[in-house]
Amino acid sequence: MKKTLLAALLFAAAPSFAADVIKIALTGPFSGGSAPMGTSMRDGAKLAISEINAAGGISVAGKKKKIEIVERDDEGKNERGALIGQELASMADLSGVIGSVNTGVVLAGDKHLQEKGITKIITPAAGSASMTQWSKAGAKDVSIFRFAAHDGIQSAMVVEEAINQKFTKVAVVHDATNYGVSGRDDLLEQIKKQGNKLEVVTTEKFNIGDKDMTSQLLSAKSKGAQAILIWGIGPELAAISNGMAKLEMKIPLIGGWTLSMSNYIDNAGKNSNGTMMPQTFIEEPITPKIKSFIEGYHKTYNVTRIPSPVSAAQGYDAVYIFAAAIKQAQSDDTHKIKEALEDLHDPVKGVIATWKHPFSKWDPTNEQTHEAFHREDTVMGKIVDGHVTFANEADRQRLIKNASK
Amino acid sequence: MNSLIIAQMAVSGALMGLVYALIAYGFQLTFATSKSINFGQGELVMLSAFFSLTLLNLGAPYWLMIPGGLLFGVVMGLVVERACVRLTLEQKSEGWILLTIIFGLLGFSAAENIWGRDDRPFPSPISSDALHILGINVTPVEISVAIGVFAVMGVIELFKRKTLLGKAFEAVSADRDAAELMGISATHTIMLSYGLSGMVAAMAGILISPITTVGPTMASALILKAFSVAVVAGLDSGFGVVVIGILIGVLESLTSYYLGSGWRETPGLLLLILALAIRPNGVFGKVSIRKV
Repeated sequence: MKKTLLAALLFAAAPSFAADVIKIALTGPFSGGSAPMGTSMRDGAKLAISEINAAGGISVAGKKKKIEIVERDDEGKNERGALIGQELASMADLSGVIGSVNTGVVLAGDKHLQEKGITKIITPAAGSASMTQWSKAGAKDVSIFRFAAHDGIQSAMVVEEAINQKFTKVAVVHDATNYGVSGRDDLLEQIKKQGNKLEVVTTEKFNIGDKDMTSQLLSAKSKGAQAILIWGIGPELAAISNGMAKLEMKIPLIGGWTLSMSNYIDNAGKNSNGTMMPQTFIEEPITPKIKSFIEGYHKTYNVTRIPSPVSAAQGYDAVYIFAAAIKQAQSDDTHKIKEALEDLHDPVKGVIATWKHPFSKWDPTNEQTHEAFHREDTVMGKIVDGHVTFANEADRQRLIKNASK
Repeated sequence: MNSLIIAQMAVSGALMGLVYALIAYGFQLTFATSKSINFGQGELVMLSAFFSLTLLNLGAPYWLMIPGGLLFGVVMGLVVERACVRLTLEQKSEGWILLTIIFGLLGFSAAENIWGRDDRPFPSPISSDALHILGINVTPVEISVAIGVFAVMGVIELFKRKTLLGKAFEAVSADRDAAELMGISATHTIMLSYGLSGMVAAMAGILISPITTVGPTMASALILKAFSVAVVAGLDSGFGVVVIGILIGVLESLTSYYLGSGWRETPGLLLLILALAIRPNGVFGKVSIRKV
């Protein structure tokens, strides 16, 4: 008798408990070479989630529901990404996924989510292939969205910067991962697109874990490169900067947004001065909203500098956009959230920008429909004494003006 | 200009090669006495580097950190000998292969749990600003690596030749049974060789950390190269590993420059295959005659 009563109680309790929360998975590399991006994204997202939960949660069909986090560390490894993708795809009550830093991990894991139609917002992984894989395959409907300045935008800005600085000869250097190789292709394509004003004197490759970059750099130096355009992640980028200092190559390093990672800036030390990269967020309190976000992050996680400000801000805004979609759909069903994301009615006030209709209905011939960032949401950043700041004062003024509108 | 580039590449490659050689030397020390090697040597390099970094972070001055780190290496070497090697040697089994690999994995996981998986910079009082020597750029940190490698190998080789304990070491290396009949304890000598091998690993860790940064995977690429060097040079000759180490290092950077950076690993592998096919005992190895 007692047992049946207990069982009945459990049965009654379990479903009502499950329905009280909205389950969102946060995935990314929380350890290893890409960890500064992964942990900043996670912590930025958690900051937003705790704000939402503190306000009572999201009201769904007349009932306030709190967000519950499912956290998975993919270690930046493709095979872990595939496993996590399978695991998340099999969770029946999952409302969606936010995260991923490494393009290889996205390529290995997202197909499982797409199969089940589970809504995912990719942030901050920027490799073009993450979204073009769906347009290339001609997918009719896609449940994957991206909330990051993709490499197409970034490589265009990098090439633009090199042309603006009146360079004519550049070296393209990249790592051997999916991210590095697709970044190289984007750069070469952009150089062609922008009128072949840059001559690529050499294309050099390095592996994850390489510490001695002398041969790649000497090749660039001897062929007269005036700038190095680079795609890679923190520790190896630092090895490049330190190698350049050793060979006294006083030419600028311009590359993907990963050049703002703390493990690049810390390991390269003073050699990182002047390095330039596209950024979606700069850790400078230029508006009250940005100020309170930065202060909140510093206080909650007890740091004086966000390891990867871009990732943190994107994680934060991605959660608010996802929450807006849940509210609009009035459901925690992942398919309904996807439809709402494709047609968000109300603007979402984020820390990067106020997002008006960030995504639209998937068009198999144009993956831009599921990309939130455009050229104007991105600025050029520059490292000065261990901090990333605006490379152009005009960008700072523009952002302050936009915020006051 | 062109010869300068070759010289610069050769110097940079040779410096990396010296690091391979130092790690390979650690293999050579234990192989000489016990015909066994520690497959977890790379993890010893990494653990010692982490330990030394912790000493520095605790406020130890640089001059105290070096003996502290070396002592840690010696202790780790002795632990490996006691835990993974001694028993299997007594049973004339090859179990040390598996046990040292397992010990390495254990060390790797321990490092991840204690110190985390991130790469950290290793402060060094030696400047990393470039110096010009005959038109070649070298940093003082790189020079310190070269000096350190030769110093530690020189001291150990002198010890083997000039001291009584060292002569016992050489005797066990030459003929273990004969040495034991002369009253030399082979067990103690093998312990000594593992202690020295651990110290060499620690020295390698302290020397390369300012260049490579400190992280759980810092030695995993190096250790494979060190294996190639040890096999190509042969496990009998201490200075053989230096010659082959430098050769592989220089070939690597020249290949990377002339054939492209994707071909960097090729010369090491080609040499390894050639050595195994033509001189399985290594270029500097003694041909062993086994009487049955």
